[in-house]
Amino acid sequence: MTDLIYNNQHIYLFVALFLLFLGIAGVVYRRTLIGMLVSMELIMNGAGLNLVALNRFVSPENGYGVAFTLIIMGIAAAEAAIALGIIMLIFKKYKHIEGGDLKEMKD
Amino acid sequence: MNLGEIIFLITILATLGGAAMAVLSGSIVYAMMGLVTTMFGIAGLYVYLNSPFLAMMQILIYVGAVSVLIAFAIMLIGPLYRKPKEWTTVGKFVAALGVALVSLFMFVRFVMETFPRVGNSSFKITTKEIGRLFFNNLVLPFELISLLVVVAILGAIMLALFSRGNK
Repeated sequence: MTDLIYNNQHIYLFVALFLLFLGIAGVVYRRTLIGMLVSMELIMNGAGLNLVALNRFVSPENGYGVAFTLIIMGIAAAEAAIALGIIMLIFKKYKHIEGGDLKEMKD
Repeated sequence: MNLGEIIFLITILATLGGAAMAVLSGSIVYAMMGLVTTMFGIAGLYVYLNSPFLAMMQILIYVGAVSVLIAFAIMLIGPLYRKPKEWTTVGKFVAALGVALVSLFMFVRFVMETFPRVGNSSFKITTKEIGRLFFNNLVLPFELISLLVVVAILGAIMLALFSRGNK
């Protein structure tokens, strides 16, 4: 029973760590703002997976990790809505959404 | 290796492959498809972590809401294929890889120093327990989340109205 590969803590932690790695790389590497937003969603998913894995293996008697993962999902949804609204405004003003060319944010 | 382990490995491969596709692909539409693949893979990992309610919420919120929102933004912004030349530069790729590798090696030590645990199969957080936890111990974060969602809705509406007024 303890030999099963999905009953092991380190696998989930390494998957979450790899998601964090790819997310940070994507935030720096992507040119468009939507690509950066996608990479941030990757980072948040890695954080949620980490919380649930530690909840399941370290303290299985309560469910705080699961509850906070639900809270992270709510935060990510609100953040995506606001960020996409701002990206739409930037596109209407500058006609592109490349992050490197945005010199000013004022009117 | 039984069937569960094989499906688990396929799930992990889908998660990591989707994440790599979301970061490295040239088109932003392919990046969104990779994000959807990653979300499904993480939902499968939640099922393996004995939390099926969380897997359902993951599919409902991320695949159903956030990805569709990103897809609508891509469709509204329009053709992004006009500048395929300057999409990727070598210097930027090296810089991104350097920054990410520093953070990776910093956190690999933390992960390696954690005690390797093996879970017992008695872990089961039901929906009833999550609800009781939210309304007994975590009332303040729950209310703050509702406040944050209301502020986000109002902010999105205000942004849409301002953009229409300026045109």
